[in-house]
Amino acid sequence: MAKPKILPKVNEYDCYEIRMESIGGLGANVAGKILAQAGILGQGLNGLNFSSYGSEKQGTPVKGFIRFTEKESVRINSPVTQPHLIAVFHISLANVLPVLEGLKPEGTVVVNTNKTPDEIRDILKIPGGITVYCVDAIKITVEEKVRMNAPMMGAITKATGFLDPEQVKKYIRETFKKKYPQVVEPNCKAFDRGYKELQMKVLAKDDKYDFIEYHPFMSPIGYDTAPMGGVITDFGNAFIKDLSGSRAGYIPVWHEEECIHCGQCDIVCPDYAPVFGEGTDHKGKQGMVMRGIDYKHCKGCLKCVEICPTDALTGEIEAEVAEEILSTVPK
Amino acid sequence: MATGVIEKAKNKKGAAEQVVDIKTGNEMAAIAASHVNFHVMGYYPITPSTQIPEETDRMKAEGEHDIVMIPGDGEHGAAGICFGAATAGVRVFNATAANGLLFSIEQLPVQSGCRYPMVLNIVARSVSGPLDIKCDHSDIMMALNTGWLIFMAKDPQRIYDFNICAVKWGELEDVRLPVMVTSDGFFTSHQLRRVEYFSTRDPVQDFIGKFKPGITAVDPNHPVTIGPYMNDPDLINNKKQQSMAMEAAYKHLPKIFEEYAKISGRKYELIETYKMDDAEVALFILNSPYDTVLQSVDNMRAEGKKVGAISLNIIRPFPADLIRQVFRNTKVLVVGDRQDSYGAWGGNMTHEIKSALKDDPENKTEVLSRIYGIGGKEFYVEDGIALLEEGLEVLKSGEVKKRYAYFGATETAKDYKPVQAFEPITEEEASPEIIRVELNPKTGVPEVKGVNMRALTKMPKRIVPGHGACPGCGIFPSIGNFLKGIKGHVVMLWHTGCGMVVTTGYPYTSFRTTYIHNLFQNGAATMSGLVEAYVERKRRGEIPGDEDLTFIMITGDGGHDIGIGPTIGAAMRNHKFIILEYDNEGYMNTGAQLSFTTPKCMITSTSHVGPAQAGKATFHKDTSQIMAACNIPYVFTAVESNFVDLVKKAAKAQWYAKHEGLVFGKILSVCPLSWRSDSRKGQEVIQAAVDSNFFPLYEIERGITKINYDPEKRNKKIPAIEWFKMMGRSRHMAKPAYAKITEEVQNEVDRRWARLKAMAESPVL
Repeated sequence: MAKPKILPKVNEYDCYEIRMESIGGLGANVAGKILAQAGILGQGLNGLNFSSYGSEKQGTPVKGFIRFTEKESVRINSPVTQPHLIAVFHISLANVLPVLEGLKPEGTVVVNTNKTPDEIRDILKIPGGITVYCVDAIKITVEEKVRMNAPMMGAITKATGFLDPEQVKKYIRETFKKKYPQVVEPNCKAFDRGYKELQMKVLAKDDKYDFIEYHPFMSPIGYDTAPMGGVITDFGNAFIKDLSGSRAGYIPVWHEEECIHCGQCDIVCPDYAPVFGEGTDHKGKQGMVMRGIDYKHCKGCLKCVEICPTDALTGEIEAEVAEEILSTVPK
Repeated sequence: MATGVIEKAKNKKGAAEQVVDIKTGNEMAAIAASHVNFHVMGYYPITPSTQIPEETDRMKAEGEHDIVMIPGDGEHGAAGICFGAATAGVRVFNATAANGLLFSIEQLPVQSGCRYPMVLNIVARSVSGPLDIKCDHSDIMMALNTGWLIFMAKDPQRIYDFNICAVKWGELEDVRLPVMVTSDGFFTSHQLRRVEYFSTRDPVQDFIGKFKPGITAVDPNHPVTIGPYMNDPDLINNKKQQSMAMEAAYKHLPKIFEEYAKISGRKYELIETYKMDDAEVALFILNSPYDTVLQSVDNMRAEGKKVGAISLNIIRPFPADLIRQVFRNTKVLVVGDRQDSYGAWGGNMTHEIKSALKDDPENKTEVLSRIYGIGGKEFYVEDGIALLEEGLEVLKSGEVKKRYAYFGATETAKDYKPVQAFEPITEEEASPEIIRVELNPKTGVPEVKGVNMRALTKMPKRIVPGHGACPGCGIFPSIGNFLKGIKGHVVMLWHTGCGMVVTTGYPYTSFRTTYIHNLFQNGAATMSGLVEAYVERKRRGEIPGDEDLTFIMITGDGGHDIGIGPTIGAAMRNHKFIILEYDNEGYMNTGAQLSFTTPKCMITSTSHVGPAQAGKATFHKDTSQIMAACNIPYVFTAVESNFVDLVKKAAKAQWYAKHEGLVFGKILSVCPLSWRSDSRKGQEVIQAAVDSNFFPLYEIERGITKINYDPEKRNKKIPAIEWFKMMGRSRHMAKPAYAKITEEVQNEVDRRWARLKAMAESPVL
């Protein structure tokens, strides 16, 4: 195959591949589209872009895929399994998914974090030889009042080494100028900051962590034992799911000493996360009492904080809440 | 609209100016529609075809085309709208998928049999049930016998090109048939690819020419009877004409492709082949996986294996002669079928190809049928190789071990253990004796006492934590609080919608009690059958007489657009169950398209705001009053921000459903994502809808209306605009440009409130 002119490296099918690991609502879908426009329309590459498909709701994990090539056509339209670059839009995803699955040796990882490349290496278990870029996209997002995708696009653009930041900004403007002209400049600024405010480190080639092979998602139940007709007989088994990855950064924290056990949090919670049981309340009376919050299922909407008539529930930034509070399972 | 680069398509002599851009398949269908400038689009949103009407509507709001967009009451209605429009002598457009296609299928032979051309995009998706929203070809293969011409478009470029060719093809004098353009759901409909399209609609208009209406229903000088009662001996001749039209269509298509190549530079054949000249083993595969298979072929060719691939750009008419030619020397053909014709030992394409080959007495090709990619199962280069290797194995051994098999089905994981998260809820646990329902001795009306927020935290949750709804979703507090008022065992039936999708993603379920799903045009009918069969089993002694179940059907407002018919049917029969509607004023599960309950002027993905359009064109539907007119025992409205009222109504609903018959209740339910409101402020947003009298809280008991909360009396009344300003979908209504329309909405709200008050004041209204 001819040596690519723009792309720094390509796989056996002449493609440079990117996978974005994100959560519905952070804008990975739009980011993928803008980056693809920049590469394809702005820089004359060919390629394609799509997201994991389905009835994904806000807060559920989503994947975005971009494939660039210098060839005339892109044949392969299946998901990217062995990316050159993986961008992790939210660190909590790593709790529930193997986000670095399939990463190519000497590949690149872009992480939204306020930690250093060495610190994040141990959290995500990043193998040796990988180039790590850390960007504090949450901070930039809050300061510039944009979505997470703007600083992440900046960081990804820089990390690819071939995407032209001016082209990306051109398509950021194209995307927003008509419907939301007021967000164009904040997005461009957040993009620039993501492009510049990076900590980069090429990890030494060592055996500290292994590369994880890509495994297509397989259901645990197959045709030999699945109940006929698609019936689910394990009633209520969704309870075992961990939805903490759906939170966008905020959580309610319960302060027992302030609680009057009124039950209002229970009636507003979409996720049935407040836990109540028989007990003795603050006045020494028997009855239903609040026992805590089920953080495995709380999605952090903070409706409970809004309705709480006392200061028993407060909205906090999850990253600043002590681990023992988050890991307490109320009974 | 075009973000792309305008360039005269290079090296294409005579080709018109085109834009190079990146677009999804659905966007390309919409751009084609705007270039054809159809007169009418009758549609009903269904994943994954929804972006087609969404994009078409967005362009309409911008004034980019003149297509009249008519949202159907369901796909059956949408198909009827299309047929009606076609009889008026115009160009007509539609898009659907899966059960949408099946729901409309009764109308499709009407369209073809009466010989009215139109274009329908099928964005292929698996047919329910169980419900799956991803791609396979189980829908389009059901359409093979509808009498329509059928294109298969494997990529976004072909979707655009074939939509344009479809217009010209179907309208030919000796064809006059409707045309489907089929693309693969998500794989093609949602994938952004580099594409080209004309920079203006002119070349398309020149290519398709002015529409020449055939016989129309709107020409008083030439009265006609369209669709007579036609038995034997005549109908067979009508069908013979259809068959002749298919023959003519088959003859004309290569010419149309040639003409189109002149203006576009893109030349298509009826059949796609790759390295078939000397291929011993071939893989036949339709649509999106074909490109991936080309890579599989190249990989295997590099190892010296003589393999090839073929696909089709049309399946109706079926290019049987070309099939015979291409497989003349093929020793083994593997047909990848993305659907099964159950019990026929192969998918439909297997049988059509075998049937074509039978007419060549020289043909000796062994044909294997492989059912693959069902329900959106991804297809990789390795899958193409594996399928071709199966063919090579037959070539090597000279023996066909499995002529028909499933490719990619899996056995249960060895370490899989079913999860027993809970015990079933007992009758006692679900009847904690907190709420009492007592009959008023004077009036005989049930009265509910003892609703206490704190005490009711004791009610076991029939829906357990672990569902995947958006943060701040209003469905679960609304339904969860309602269920706090229902004692004992319940059986729920949920219509398709957000609530259903986020609770029952296989192999998980959030339901701790029995739950059934049926598609949202039919829940009330399904529940009617279930309830009556339960009663009959009790009567026959098959179920103990002292056992008791409460049956609740739950639907979104969308389910009561497409499914209002069966709900009214259930009301007419007065079955003993509860129908509860969570109304979030749009089709939120499919991406927030307008529903009939969406308020006028509000923005949805099929009611954009722009220079040529001001959001939704009509006022919100009043489903509660429709149900009140059915004279059922109990109708109510409720909201999560008035807990006591909501739970009382639940307890009352249960009493009426036990003793008197059908209950209908509507709960206005916040959707922070699509209403674009602060997820934290769900209660406040909902209460504002009540305080503005947009959504009054009332009940109608045995025909007597009672207002349960009067914002005027409580000095809480706010103008509707105060509610609109809390949401991104309606914030524009505060702008001076929308003052008139906002006033109209306010007047309508006031009128309905005044009418409700009059009803409440009079025992006969």
